[in-house]
Amino acid sequence: MNHGTRTLTRILVSFVLCFSALRGSAQDAKLQLANLDKLSAKAARVTDVTLDGSLLQFAVNMIQKIDSEDEDVAQLQSIIKNLKGIYIKSFEFDEASQYSKADVDGIRSQLTSPRWSKIIQSIEKRHNEYDEIYVLKNGDKVGGVVILVAEARELTVVNLVGEVPMDKVASLERHLSPGEKQSGKNKQKKESGHDQE
Amino acid sequence: MHFSEDDLREALKRKDPGEGFTQRTMARVNQARVNQARVNQARAEGTAPPATKKVNGKFLAWWTLRPAWTVVVAAVLLLACGIGGYQYSEYRHAEEMRIARAKQQQLQQEAERARDQAIMALEIARAKLNHVLQHAQLQAEPSDKVRRQRL
Repeated sequence: MNHGTRTLTRILVSFVLCFSALRGSAQDAKLQLANLDKLSAKAARVTDVTLDGSLLQFAVNMIQKIDSEDEDVAQLQSIIKNLKGIYIKSFEFDEASQYSKADVDGIRSQLTSPRWSKIIQSIEKRHNEYDEIYVLKNGDKVGGVVILVAEARELTVVNLVGEVPMDKVASLERHLSPGEKQSGKNKQKKESGHDQE
Repeated sequence: MHFSEDDLREALKRKDPGEGFTQRTMARVNQARVNQARVNQARAEGTAPPATKKVNGKFLAWWTLRPAWTVVVAAVLLLACGIGGYQYSEYRHAEEMRIARAKQQQLQQEAERARDQAIMALEIARAKLNHVLQHAQLQAEPSDKVRRQRL
């Protein structure tokens, strides 16, 4: 192998490594939640949300089209515009202890430092409640968030990938039911209708 | 080109016309006479002369004898082709529009579904985030009270 070929190979290898590293940083925030699928059979209520790629882009475009005079909508728009993926698995059970510690540990094992930081942990052993919030730091920005709620009759994993403004998510006070977000004008009409009643 | 005397003699020598030559010739002569007589009779009576057998066939005869009809038939055929082509292009256009509309509608429905799902997901995220924050706050409060009492 001559000098030129060797240099070219090195450039190509470094390019591939850089590309995979960049790609990896975005992908790292996404958790593998497939191990929880088996709980669907036992659960009384299952919520499974997978929004990424073109589907999330559709949603973002649709939400961007909503009348932005409404504060809630504007906040929703500012939250969702930088998200790259939303993954939620939530199981509600009629009886306690329907999921095992191994199921939760399967999620926790993916949330290891130094990439992930546990920012909040709330444990209440009397009611067997373990609530945790993890954040993936991407430089100065938040690259992803995981909210893990493991209670006696409920197991919920919320995985938000991308820049997540936590303060804005927490302050989305009003109930954001999909029907109410058709347009701000419609909403105002509804509110005025309620007032009249 | 040079012809020799023998060539000329060979070319101009008598040839046998074959059997029935006289009968064939006489039949043609009689037929021509009959045809001529029919034409003369028709002229005298003022009617159209009877159709004589042409070598080119009936269709070609009709074609050459009735040019006006030929033009009309050609025009009708052209018009029919034109109308048919226009109708087909209109049908194709309508069909393409229908498919595009259906695709657009499907995309719109998908987008609305995605939007509803995103809003629901953020609602769940908000609820769980506040739930965890509230729990953490509640756990922190008793220790604050103890600290305050000590002070």
